[in-house]
Amino acid sequence: MSAGAVSHVAEDRPRATGGRAPDVFSRSGWVPMREHALGDEVDFAIVGSGCGGAVLATKLAEAGHSVVMFDAGPFWRPLSDFASDEREQDKLYWLDPRVSDGDDPLELGANNSGRNVGGSTTHFQMVSLRFRPDWFKSRSKLGYAVDWPVDWHEMWHYYAEAERAMAISGPISYPWGPKRGRYPYREHEVNAAGLVLARGAEALGVAWAPTPLATVSAPRGKSPPCVYRGMCKIGCSTNAKQSMLVTYIPRALAAGAEIRDLAMVGRIDTGPDGRVTGVEFHRDGGWHVQRARNVVVAGYSIETPRLLLNSACGRYPNGLANGSDQVGRYLMVHSNHAVWAEMDEEIRWYKGPPSMACCEHWNYDDDDPSRDFHGGYSFMSQGPLPGDFAGTLVTATGAFGLDLRERMARYNRMAGLKIVGETMPQADNRVTLSDEKDGFGLPRARITFGYCDNDRRLYRHSLRFMSRMLQAAGGHDLLETSSTAHLMGGCRMGSDPETSVTDANGRSWEIPNLWICDGSLMPTAGGVNPALTIVANAARIGDRIVAMGRKGTI
Amino acid sequence: MTERFSAPYRGYDVLDKWDTPSFNDQTRRVLRGRMDPPPRRFFSDTEWRVLLALCARAMPQPERTDPVAMAPFIDADLHAGRGTGTRRADMPEPGAAWRRGLAALDAEAVARHGRGFADLDAAAANAILRAVDSGDLADPAAWDGLPAQRFLRETALKHIVSIYYSQPQGMSEIGYGGPASPRGYVRLGTDRIDPWEAPHGQWPDR
Amino acid sequence: MRAPSHREVPTAPRTRRPHTGLGRVVVGLGIALAGAALAGRAMRPRPETGVHQKSIRRTRDGAAILGASVLFDSALEHLRGGFENRAMYVAPTMAAVSVAASLAEPGSGGRERGARLAHIVSLATGVIGTGFHLYNITKRPGGISWNNLFYAAPIGAPGALAVAGALGMSTEVLAAQPRNGRRNGRALAGLTGAFLLGETAEVALLHFRGAFHNPAMYLPVTVPTAAGIALISLALHPDGRDDRVARALLGTVGALGLLGTAFHIYGVGRNMGGWSNWRQNALVGPPTPAPISFTGLGLAGLAAVDLLQGTEDRR
Repeated sequence: MSAGAVSHVAEDRPRATGGRAPDVFSRSGWVPMREHALGDEVDFAIVGSGCGGAVLATKLAEAGHSVVMFDAGPFWRPLSDFASDEREQDKLYWLDPRVSDGDDPLELGANNSGRNVGGSTTHFQMVSLRFRPDWFKSRSKLGYAVDWPVDWHEMWHYYAEAERAMAISGPISYPWGPKRGRYPYREHEVNAAGLVLARGAEALGVAWAPTPLATVSAPRGKSPPCVYRGMCKIGCSTNAKQSMLVTYIPRALAAGAEIRDLAMVGRIDTGPDGRVTGVEFHRDGGWHVQRARNVVVAGYSIETPRLLLNSACGRYPNGLANGSDQVGRYLMVHSNHAVWAEMDEEIRWYKGPPSMACCEHWNYDDDDPSRDFHGGYSFMSQGPLPGDFAGTLVTATGAFGLDLRERMARYNRMAGLKIVGETMPQADNRVTLSDEKDGFGLPRARITFGYCDNDRRLYRHSLRFMSRMLQAAGGHDLLETSSTAHLMGGCRMGSDPETSVTDANGRSWEIPNLWICDGSLMPTAGGVNPALTIVANAARIGDRIVAMGRKGTI
Repeated sequence: MTERFSAPYRGYDVLDKWDTPSFNDQTRRVLRGRMDPPPRRFFSDTEWRVLLALCARAMPQPERTDPVAMAPFIDADLHAGRGTGTRRADMPEPGAAWRRGLAALDAEAVARHGRGFADLDAAAANAILRAVDSGDLADPAAWDGLPAQRFLRETALKHIVSIYYSQPQGMSEIGYGGPASPRGYVRLGTDRIDPWEAPHGQWPDR
Repeated sequence: MRAPSHREVPTAPRTRRPHTGLGRVVVGLGIALAGAALAGRAMRPRPETGVHQKSIRRTRDGAAILGASVLFDSALEHLRGGFENRAMYVAPTMAAVSVAASLAEPGSGGRERGARLAHIVSLATGVIGTGFHLYNITKRPGGISWNNLFYAAPIGAPGALAVAGALGMSTEVLAAQPRNGRRNGRALAGLTGAFLLGETAEVALLHFRGAFHNPAMYLPVTVPTAAGIALISLALHPDGRDDRVARALLGTVGALGLLGTAFHIYGVGRNMGGWSNWRQNALVGPPTPAPISFTGLGLAGLAAVDLLQGTEDRR
């Protein structure tokens, strides 16, 4: 948008320079930041500052390693940079095009990307659910997909750590899965949209829960409690949301990590010994090289494989860490199918975080005779903002004219349920490079995606079930829509170099000082929102790398 | 299709909250900047006329003397090269898709009625949009491989409604709370409203 | 910055706003009533001299403070509830009446009989209110769940009005039985101790909801519990007990009421938008009128100890 935007200073010029970085809890203040010269060989160059990069940078810096973390996007101060406006806040997404094809081409942008310090957590909907323990061994225990090279007990420990770090506000007792400790903060009041789910669940006899959310229900440090403004998906302007930007990023800075905003890494350099030597990045109008003993790629499921592929060289003609042709493969999404209904009451779903009530019934019930699919899905109550919902309506129905205006006039009486549905890892769902170049002259990513039969059975099952639930809650005039959210995989970790890109520590099989730490490592998608799992996995990898560092085995 | 917009929240205006804690400075700046439509810089005269007609069919505002403008903002977005994050492999980039799609709509009108899309009456234009949406094309060659339904829904209508409902008039007519920072909401329950929200709507079925 | 000029011309009068106006009237009347009683009391000569008389006065002052806390707290909470049910006006109204009754002197005249009746009705209102709140909790999805205990009608709140009524009633008994100071002191100590524990339970629930995010939030859970136990043990074993611990704890509870009010005012201010966003934060922030109720209970507890230690039963 050209006219009337918020100050674009953050998007035009890097802010984290001159020994200081933005103080995210202020409107215009700064915090000190340690800086490294380009010629200095830092211990770790980390590409990406979301759930993977921010957590790992914090762990490594707190253990005394020198760390420089890059992000292609701006370094916001939410209190003064985030407006209450859907169109303005598009600036949080990765809007540079990716080429999308396949049988079911993905829509990339708002639902699965972030381009700013803190990654997509600046606009995620804060749903913080743990994986079902069996999913870490879904091949051995449930008979589909592949096993993670990680034991669930270890992940359970790091889930608790992640929940503490993000001060998750969750219910006292959670109806599904093994016992977990108490969430750091109490559950939020469930809004009317969530109570529709609750009513429906109670009518159908399945459990429901107030959603564990990464927004605080009471003050925490400089974060005030959530004011239920309902614009979580376009950026929290109060800092109640416990995004990476207001949790791990300040910790990383305080521990001595350097952050370079508006710094697009275009290539990882390799030396004659085959090890990586640093990264080439574009900042302040020119290309620079940062030397590093280790490079960690944490750009999420598209930019991570893209960077590895774009770093091809004589020694690695197919890209880095790609000797087994695994980079970019097994890309997964969550099917995001939804059922919407009109209620007799005014729901006003714009109030409060969008998903205040959730149901994980189909993640845990294996024995129901209606279950005709592998994997699972959770679903949550919904609260789309007007532009978002209007876009859903026109995309799904083609409605226009007064008919559309009339439908939108029912906005305050709508309720909806939407799934986070597991999809199967498939080798041909993948990220490759297209012939097109972006503004930096780098080949754009091409994303090829198609559902398999199991994926389709799963979302069809969910549509039937959610329709029943909405009707049981008093909904009428139902509408079904389809969409996807999140990305998982693309550089999966595993136990076998032939079928994975990294080992369980995120270290690439091919190059010992090249690491990956983000959602692209995930071998399976699970039926829950991935952010908490990515954070927990990054914390686990961080501890492993720190331990290796102490033993001298990095 | 109804003839008249029923307006359950008549009289409610999110701008009444302009000077209250529901608005902060950055939001006021954004909305102020959106009040004056930007000048046309992307579309040609011919394309512009079709675009205006398309916007009028997508979001007709018979009750308004000063209807919400959408076309200038689409033009500005395309001029600025603002993307959505996705380019479908079978679609050109947004600017080219818009040009081709508008030309194709015009060609559909000529093929059916011997007149341009902008010269059709509402009923005829609506009929063409419905036909295009269902894949019933009178001049397939004009589309030149552009998937017609996808252009209409995902390129055109989605863009148009995102602009319409970003304007205070669009927010107000659906009873949406509008800007909400630093002040959010207190009363979250069913049928419960804060004094700074739209009063309960007037519903014929309640 | 001025509002933009592109405005919709209202074509019809605005539809109904939630009716919060009557709430303001009720609260205003309540304040006026309580204020009038306070003024009346200030103008009256104070005859009391003995420990017995002082204790009665102190207990009634405690009841009045409690009533004032309920007056403002219920007004605020019921404003949040939009005075959805007409019965919601009863709480602040009865609280105001209770304050007035507690500020009056006990006696046998017509006005005094009215005050006595007011105490009984306050007690009943508190009990019935608890029933209403329980109903509100159980009718919501989830029933008696943490979410509803946290966010539906607060289960413990109406109890404070009942306590104010009960304390008022107690002073009527005290006044009527000047010879049984010690025995009645025991009863009052036991009662106030129990009230302290009940009040603490509510504070614990709400501070748990706030995740005890500030360590100071443990104070109004621990100290009143200790004070309540000390009071009850004094009531059970009045002979030869040192009352200094109980007095110190009760004094601290009374001070905590004031400190808590200051903390809650600070707490509202640190919510998003601070006091300039008072229409939201006064309702969702920590309840500013609530902590002072501890001061009321502390006073009543001290009065009970005075009675217990400073009077003898005469036969």
